[in-house]
Amino acid sequence: MTPGASVPETPELFRSLAEDLRSRTDEQLAALLVARPDLARPAPADLVALAARASSRPSVQRAIERADRAMVHALQAVVIAGETHPVGAAAPHEVAQLLGADDPALQDVLTRLRDVALIWSSAEGIHPVRSVAEVLGPNPGGLGVRAAEIPDRYAASSPPSAAELADLLSTAPAAARAIVERLTWGPPVGAVPPSGTSRDGAIWLVEHGFVAPTGLGHVTLVREVALELRGGRLYPRTALAPPVLQLRAVEQVTAERVAGTHARELLDQIEQLGTLWSQSPARVLRSGGIGVRELAALARTLDTDAPQAAFVAEAALGAGLIADDGEIAPAWVPTSEFDAWQARPASHRWVDVLTSWMASPRAVHLSANGDRAATTPSPLGPELHWPPIRSLRADVLAELAGLPAGSAPTPESVGEAIAWRRPLGDDQSIAVGVAAVMQQAEWLGLTGLGALTSVGGALAEGADPDTLRSAADALLPAAVDHVLLQADLTAIAPGPLDGPLGRLMRLVSDVESRGGATVLRFSAPTVRRALDAGMTADDILGQLAAASRTPIPQPLDYLVRDIARRHGQTRVGGATAYVRSDDEAVLAALVADRSLSSELLRRIAPTVVVSQADPVTLLEKLRAAGYAPAREALDGSLVVSAPQGRRARDSRRRPAARGIPDPTLRLVDLEFARSVVAALRCAPPRPAASSTPSGPLSNPPGESANLLRHAIADAFPVWVGYADGNGRTARHLVRPVRIEGGRVYAVSGESDAEQVFLLHRITGAQPG
Amino acid sequence: MTDGPLIVQSDKTLLLEVDHPGAEAARRDIAPFAELERAPEHVHTYRITPLGLWNAQAAGHDGEQVVHALLRHSRYAVPQALLVDIVETMGRYGRLTIEKDPAQGLVLRTTDRPVLEEVLRHRKIEPLLGARIDPDTVAVHPSERGHLKQQLLKIGWPAEDLAGYVDGEAHPIALREEGWEMRPYQRQAVEGFWHGGSGVVVLPCGAGKTIVGAAAMAAAQATTLILVTNTVAARQWKDELLRRTSLTEQEIGEYSGTRKEIRPVTIATYQVLAVRRQGVYSHLELLDARDWGLVVYDEVHLLPAPIFRMTADLQARRRLGLTATLVREDGREGDVFSLIGPKRFDAPWKDIEAQGWIAPADCVEVRVTLTESERMAYAVAEPDERYRLASCTPAKDRVVEQLVERHTGEPTLVIGQYLDQLATLAERLDAPIITGATPVAERQRLYGAFRAGELGLLVVSKVANFSIDLPEASVAIQVSGTFGSRQEEAQRLGRVLRPKVDGRTAHFYTVVSRDTVDADFAAHRQRFLAEQGYAYRIIDASDL
Repeated sequence: MTPGASVPETPELFRSLAEDLRSRTDEQLAALLVARPDLARPAPADLVALAARASSRPSVQRAIERADRAMVHALQAVVIAGETHPVGAAAPHEVAQLLGADDPALQDVLTRLRDVALIWSSAEGIHPVRSVAEVLGPNPGGLGVRAAEIPDRYAASSPPSAAELADLLSTAPAAARAIVERLTWGPPVGAVPPSGTSRDGAIWLVEHGFVAPTGLGHVTLVREVALELRGGRLYPRTALAPPVLQLRAVEQVTAERVAGTHARELLDQIEQLGTLWSQSPARVLRSGGIGVRELAALARTLDTDAPQAAFVAEAALGAGLIADDGEIAPAWVPTSEFDAWQARPASHRWVDVLTSWMASPRAVHLSANGDRAATTPSPLGPELHWPPIRSLRADVLAELAGLPAGSAPTPESVGEAIAWRRPLGDDQSIAVGVAAVMQQAEWLGLTGLGALTSVGGALAEGADPDTLRSAADALLPAAVDHVLLQADLTAIAPGPLDGPLGRLMRLVSDVESRGGATVLRFSAPTVRRALDAGMTADDILGQLAAASRTPIPQPLDYLVRDIARRHGQTRVGGATAYVRSDDEAVLAALVADRSLSSELLRRIAPTVVVSQADPVTLLEKLRAAGYAPAREALDGSLVVSAPQGRRARDSRRRPAARGIPDPTLRLVDLEFARSVVAALRCAPPRPAASSTPSGPLSNPPGESANLLRHAIADAFPVWVGYADGNGRTARHLVRPVRIEGGRVYAVSGESDAEQVFLLHRITGAQPG
Repeated sequence: MTDGPLIVQSDKTLLLEVDHPGAEAARRDIAPFAELERAPEHVHTYRITPLGLWNAQAAGHDGEQVVHALLRHSRYAVPQALLVDIVETMGRYGRLTIEKDPAQGLVLRTTDRPVLEEVLRHRKIEPLLGARIDPDTVAVHPSERGHLKQQLLKIGWPAEDLAGYVDGEAHPIALREEGWEMRPYQRQAVEGFWHGGSGVVVLPCGAGKTIVGAAAMAAAQATTLILVTNTVAARQWKDELLRRTSLTEQEIGEYSGTRKEIRPVTIATYQVLAVRRQGVYSHLELLDARDWGLVVYDEVHLLPAPIFRMTADLQARRRLGLTATLVREDGREGDVFSLIGPKRFDAPWKDIEAQGWIAPADCVEVRVTLTESERMAYAVAEPDERYRLASCTPAKDRVVEQLVERHTGEPTLVIGQYLDQLATLAERLDAPIITGATPVAERQRLYGAFRAGELGLLVVSKVANFSIDLPEASVAIQVSGTFGSRQEEAQRLGRVLRPKVDGRTAHFYTVVSRDTVDADFAAHRQRFLAEQGYAYRIIDASDL
């Protein structure tokens, strides 16, 4: 976020943000655009437009969301310090005092704020960009109303001076002191009960000017009082530096080994899930997702607990390996992608799961909130859609990637560090989310024993799939190239089973247990399955003998040969029509007849010929070729009536696949930012504002609204172009008062009467 | 990555590569807590179960040892969750103990108060307990000692029974080691049992379980009740006790359907105890007839449910279970653990064979092909008739004849399920037949003749499944069985595993009909033996 080129310690002084921006180097501007990509897309017309956009509320909101806790604290201090000055600029020493921070640390934070254009400096001091105060809300830093802003009717009792505050408070009733204590560090607003000692305390506080009544039954601690009670500081603890992570050292080699095992386990679990659900699909609940019982059954199959089972299911969903089949009684079943995925090498399979997890907007941990069972969303359900989890994942991985190899931080400290970087987030949900993400990273094999692995590091850097795959290959335990065959009809692969051997073994046997090794069992159905797949008994035994370190045990040999002997004794095929005749010669003639070659006649017995042609067609063709066939009914009797008119076969129309547009957007990278900056530098200068604008007023709506906000804040008149109800455009010179709900309230001329303009009908604005 | 012989699977099984140089050390380290499930030639499978872990804990091992053993021998990283689970499970045993308090009598005491609170609130356990004596102790009704242990095991907090045993009525019993002596593993088994108090000794068929029972009696020096499966087994126990101990004919009583003798050492059958007349067990008085100091259960894996119920009331007496396998077809392993006691000794079948105590066996499956007309009859038969049809095909008779001929001179048993099939065979082979209808005296006579070598061939029904002792049978031919019972298969193989004087190999033949349910059931039956390391060869009847 901090660009390499730093600002001079004493910045030059400017009159507006636009001027500040104009003074920056190209590199600084490019860095700003990278840090705040919404400023670059669409590309602004010139630097004035850039400044306008940078101070618009949505953009400032985003910029503050990306700021860390130090920046937000400093920004609040700037706003609070600035409010006591007429032009809203804060003196640096006041800011430092509010934060209780020493200069160099603060200077660095202020530089970062300026780099992202949240503040700018002038001769008067530091200015927060317009909208900052608005975004920070009515109680910046948990401070209440300023004494000067208290409505006149309550202003009778002025707040106590700093000198008399302590004495006065010591004489206050206990209830009053308790209220002050509660409100001191914010939030500053308290509700007053209708009766009781608390009410008396509140009344005492109002009478002595500590608090001001704001709204019905509410009081707000006066800002000056609160600051005095806080000892002039905004926060009890300064948070200008990120919190330090609590680390546990682990051996990186061990971590990688454990992670590899976990990765293998996860791949196994996904496969088991696919096998389970292709045999007995899990019902889709009416609200989407799967039920508690089905989750428990899955957990039993995977030999794990429900949260991990839910995670495995979500990981499979994320990678597109399972889907709702969309039947009348919908169920979760593996997709055809699952089969393709299974056939890929382990590293490819793993990377597929990792990248889809990284990009998934679904937060499975929300389903495991536990105690409120009725409101807990179910795994795979739509309620788990929670896009912020993506940035949380990236944050956690980035945090881990910043540590030296072999350090395993506690989830709590990572949570704190991330809460520091994302101060506007809910600390509690960040803590829960971080703990969940770290647990998932462990399950995924991105971390081992809490330390980031090489694959985790590559993923955190956003490496491309090929790099990830080669990293994954190094991490995953090597697959074994042999099995041990035993007389009890089992085979044991003493390690991970993969590639062609894995495919062979899964075809000819069933997996009985998994883990470090794979235990497979041969049985009649599995051997039959292999024979169905086109293998012969010799193929099976030959390939097994080649793969086995031990000779083929006799019972296995017997089993395979026994099944093979019976396999294919009876055969089943499909034909649309048959021709039978007791006269074998006639059938021989039929098959030999060239005019009937298009009917694909095939003789399957001396007296039977089958065809893929429709019986009616075949009948006609045979008649045309000079034979005299008769139609036979299903029970073998002759059909005497003439065949009915032809009908089309019932074919259900399949829904056409809808093309989904590819939403790929180029990221705002440095290169792109530079091109935008270059364009900005070349923008033609804007014409100076004239007293009466010539021609129709027309500029982008955002810019107009921004100008109007400026005009409200600085109380200068504005020319607005306004389309009336008939579509005619007219110019008005007005003094805007406020913008609310899409309406601009303004006064014109000397009159005090407010006129209302609909914001969307304003065609343009220009300072008047 | 270490190169250990052990691989830990996610379903809590352990795979041990037996050809690995470190296999023996690993086997020793994991044997206390993991049950051997399968032992085929290359890779043995052990399973970690809560019962196994508690058995280990009862034997004085702790979680750390178990975890260490796994980590030390494992080839791949062991899942952390499994290790945590093991330590937690093991820690559950012994948090509750049943003790004898000098002042309060029988009490349940805890080292972990929340566990006691949880247990006290359990619907089924609460009525078994008496008044709360102090925060960690609660009184136990002496009559509920067994039920309490059963229920505690069910909810996963097995109690350690430290309340001790009554000595029972003293009775002098001594082993007479004349011309024979106890084998080392038998000695270890008795020691393990005696130090543990009560529990189960697991030894393969033919490894001399009776001697372990006799030695335990000699250690107890008290009146003993022996529970066996049937009358024949009772007689054999009696013979063996007369031969191996100082006991005389007058001191040993038989309590069965025909005789009701109660003597210092009484041998009772399961059936007679399980007999119910008008809803009451009419022979329960036997249990209180004397102040027994030791109760021996033969073939624990066959204990019927009523015996379990009675055993629950016998908790103050020492109990010894003897069995070849802890696997029960009904899954009541937990009741054996809580009511009779933890496993006190276990020796793998193959180990004992390797030491020469049981004969090596050659297992052969002979496949016969049904004739065309039989196949047709089979194809149209009702499903519940098919097994019988396939089992009793005349084609088998010819094969049996050939096999008997091949082993002329060797003591041979022909074992089957269907009486008419056996009758036909007996007639063709000109051999005596023993079925459930054969009078006991006649049975004894025939067994005696067979043992003495006067008789070289016997045709027996499933009465011979359990506990008959035919030292010189070296060939068994199985023509039909009780569907897919793995237990029966093990018992029948056990018939030929007694060590032979001349050290020759035992032969075990199973004759099955190809392409029928008979073959499917045979495959199921053989699984147990194949898992125990007895590999079957398959040959075709035409290759004989």
